[in-house]
Amino acid sequence: MTTQTSGRRQGGYLERPAPSSLADVIEVILDKGMVIDAYVRVSLVGIELLTIDARIVIASVDTYLRFAEATNRLDLYEHGAKDIGEVVQDLRGSGGTESKTRGALRGAKDSVKEAIGKGDDEDDESDQDERRPTKRSSSSRRRSE
Amino acid sequence: MTSGGEEAAVLVYGVVGAHPPAVPEDAVGPDGAALRQVMFHDLAAVVGGVMPGWRPGREDLMRYSSIVDGLAQHGPVVPVQFGSLLADEQEVVDRVLAPEAERLSALLEELAGKVQVQIRARYVEDAVLAEVVAADPEVRDLRERTKDLPDEVGHADRIRLGELAAHAVADRAAEDADTVLDVVRPHVAAEIVRPVGGLDILDVVALVEAEELRVLEDALEALAEAAHDRMRIRLVGPTAPYDFVGGD
Repeated sequence: MTTQTSGRRQGGYLERPAPSSLADVIEVILDKGMVIDAYVRVSLVGIELLTIDARIVIASVDTYLRFAEATNRLDLYEHGAKDIGEVVQDLRGSGGTESKTRGALRGAKDSVKEAIGKGDDEDDESDQDERRPTKRSSSSRRRSE
Repeated sequence: MTSGGEEAAVLVYGVVGAHPPAVPEDAVGPDGAALRQVMFHDLAAVVGGVMPGWRPGREDLMRYSSIVDGLAQHGPVVPVQFGSLLADEQEVVDRVLAPEAERLSALLEELAGKVQVQIRARYVEDAVLAEVVAADPEVRDLRERTKDLPDEVGHADRIRLGELAAHAVADRAAEDADTVLDVVRPHVAAEIVRPVGGLDILDVVALVEAEELRVLEDALEALAEAAHDRMRIRLVGPTAPYDFVGGD
């Protein structure tokens, strides 16, 4: 996306990510817009699967275990003493995206977004990445087309 | 439905008012040729050519996004769902512009001067969990009991702890979502609140008068500053009004 506010402020508390990564674009436009009587609607099959995958993550034992782990990991004493600037730094990371957040409770959606967005910084010569059908990197199945 | 892109076709990006022509000069369709406008009375559909066998990829998606958002900068646009192909320009008239003329004109009028933004609020993990531990004796107790145990022990307690914590965070999120919405609402013309889970507090897309955007930003900046030790607020946009044209 190319739109940016001319008045984009730096250093404020409100995060204003430039919606220029594939992940942000997907989030904004996938399945959106007016549906017309098209004779065919092509879709980014792999990407749609990833999104659906993220949406169906609901409260489950696995979710609870992740919450438990995060709760147990809390160091309440240290937390009180932690320098707030450091916290903000941790969370904002470079470029102010929340994908840098180092929490066990990163939503599934975020993990997925990271998985999709991974190839973003690389050169786009090969468009293998967006066809990758799963967020689990272990199964990077190759297809020659 | 055919399996897609076996013949040359046109990809529809969106519909704008016919005056003035608004297609970005350097924008190209999937076939690499300049975009075209298909005119019908006071409507214009912006379309790009598609070669036989076309399969959309990342670049097409990014380009679609920048083209539609580019159109939005010059005036109201009704984005058409990505990947919508029609056989040729005549079909764009026959199947979209002519039958939908009234609805399209009404939408364009309604969208004039407005932009879409997405606002998301999310907890700082350690901060909200510390609140939960402090507020709930049972959570505190379960935490003490399972904290130093090896992973394979205390499974039931762990699940119970996680369940309590997850629900407590969700309850807080519901309340805090209202706080954020109270700040947002006075500045938006329409809103769609999306479901959230995990550490997310609120995910809302809103239609905002372009001139009100700065006021909304200021209000959110003040809230983000006041609440920054426990939540992060982000605002994405302005973009074209993808969520406010009767799509899914």
